[in-house]
Amino acid sequence: MIIHFTLQTPFWLEVRMLIQVLNGLVYGALLFALASGLALMFGLRRIVNFAHGSLYMLGAYIGYSVGAHAGFWTGLAVAALALGLLGAALDVLVFRPLQDKDPLITLLVTFGLALIAEDVVQSIWGNDTLALAEPGLLIGTVQIPGTTFPVYRLAIIAFGALVACGLAAWLRLTRIGLFVRAASFNPTVAAIQGVDTDRVSALVVAVGAALAGASGVVAAPLLSLAPSMAADILVDSFIVVVVGGLGSLAGAFVVALLLGQINVLGIVFMPELTALLPFILMVGVLIWKPTGLAGNRL
Amino acid sequence: MRNIRFFAAVLALCAIGPLMATLITSPLMLSLLAQATFAAIFAVGVGFLIRQNGMVSFGHAAFYGLPGYMIGMLLPGASMPAEVVIIGAVVLTGILGFAIGLVIVRVHGIAFGMLTLAIGQGLYVAVTRVRGITGGHDGMNLRLPRELFGLPLKFLQQPQGMLIVSWLVLMLILVSIWLFSRSHWGRLTEGIRDNEERIRFLGYATLLPRALVFAASTVVAAIGGVMFVIYNTFISPDAVHWTASGSALIMAILGGAGSTWGPALGAFVYFLLKHAAGSYTTHWLSIIGVALILVSVAFPNGLAGLVVRWFNPARRGAAS
Repeated sequence: MIIHFTLQTPFWLEVRMLIQVLNGLVYGALLFALASGLALMFGLRRIVNFAHGSLYMLGAYIGYSVGAHAGFWTGLAVAALALGLLGAALDVLVFRPLQDKDPLITLLVTFGLALIAEDVVQSIWGNDTLALAEPGLLIGTVQIPGTTFPVYRLAIIAFGALVACGLAAWLRLTRIGLFVRAASFNPTVAAIQGVDTDRVSALVVAVGAALAGASGVVAAPLLSLAPSMAADILVDSFIVVVVGGLGSLAGAFVVALLLGQINVLGIVFMPELTALLPFILMVGVLIWKPTGLAGNRL
Repeated sequence: MRNIRFFAAVLALCAIGPLMATLITSPLMLSLLAQATFAAIFAVGVGFLIRQNGMVSFGHAAFYGLPGYMIGMLLPGASMPAEVVIIGAVVLTGILGFAIGLVIVRVHGIAFGMLTLAIGQGLYVAVTRVRGITGGHDGMNLRLPRELFGLPLKFLQQPQGMLIVSWLVLMLILVSIWLFSRSHWGRLTEGIRDNEERIRFLGYATLLPRALVFAASTVVAAIGGVMFVIYNTFISPDAVHWTASGSALIMAILGGAGSTWGPALGAFVYFLLKHAAGSYTTHWLSIIGVALILVSVAFPNGLAGLVVRWFNPARRGAAS
């Protein structure tokens, strides 16, 4: 009698799983690039920006229009710049005058702005879904033993890593970064020490908005453009920021990557429940720790 | 004397509904007003939570749509009368609201709003996924018996009849909420809203009253949702999507959540304005966005605050 042993590869070693993990990283990187701005804004202004998804959407549409004429890279640069200026204006015209009021008022005002932005996008670009082609440099696939993976998706992961490292270096190593951390920790004391918190805030909101715009352009070739894209991603990025701990960049980083993995692994193991998992995660964490994973640390 | 004047005022308000139903002949307008009344009940629930608990919910559509789905799922196989199923759905929503409230009212401010958003979107995702039972994005039709609560279904599905019924329900809810806010519990929850620590120091438990207010607000929203499904005999995920919660919140803020009746006023203004704007422009979203910004920055008491100030200049700014 001969006993046959079949050597089974554990499921997590299969190439299929590697692809899923990479896809999870792609979404996680996008979410982080978007949510980092939201977290920074909360840290400085103690506001939740309901219009953050709209900034992402505006970035994507501007990138689409400019990209159609001048190429993807110009589109990306113009969108980031335009959204940065819009962010600075948003801080000076909206957040600063409202800073002494109830944060809920700012929340409602940004909710109103999100409605207006949706109308603006519908009026200019229409209701149809649009597609932006990936840049020529990043077309094609990479060989992974047994399968292939699109280069563009790897580029998105690189983009997320770049944003994370860039922000961390900016906050930890530069003088302005020091001011930002000080103003997040305690705006009054920072102001007494001579930090111009209004200027720091305008800069941070501008950087957050520019990141949102850039993420919109980067996401555009992967997801399609539609006026509903703002609301779709807003809920997920809120979950990232709230679960990570409002205002915490590190917390947002961890949760964005976690959410990305939950999304793809959920699709593999329990497709019916996947879309519910982020909400379950959020409810669970907030009940356990109402201030989020990182508490109030930056 | 005060009691007589109070009852006279309530009766006069109750009469407005039937009066509208008889005076207005355009079926389109009647239907619009009926739909606005459902939304008004929903918005009153959202506003009640803001006023009594100081909490802004971004997910109350879950409690507005849930009873509709419960009725749709339970009615075909139920051996009990439809009335029991309908009341049961509202009661179950309230119990669920209480259970959820016990957990989430511990979380304050923005995070509370995000939690409600998550709960609302969670239900939305759930009803779009279990397609076999709920019909997914296509929604589900309800098969209601010919008579409900002694009223013929035809009467309830006609704009005129439904306007009268839902208006009376709205008035009943407003009076109950008004009486609640003047009761011991109403004062207590307002005190907790303003300074929870101080009320706890006075020896009161603060969690239970807040959870009860949350539960009550879900019951009010559920009643609005039940009127909606009886009239439309149809429920779809749109009813539980967060944009539905957002609209109800906008109505409550526009009308002024500082008063009991403000959110209802906001709902009627919202519907009539949307109808009027529809024939001139497609930029409804911008109009409502600007209105929301204007009201939340410049008129924290909303339209109700303006009305009160108009009729009673002595009570400047106070609408309650």
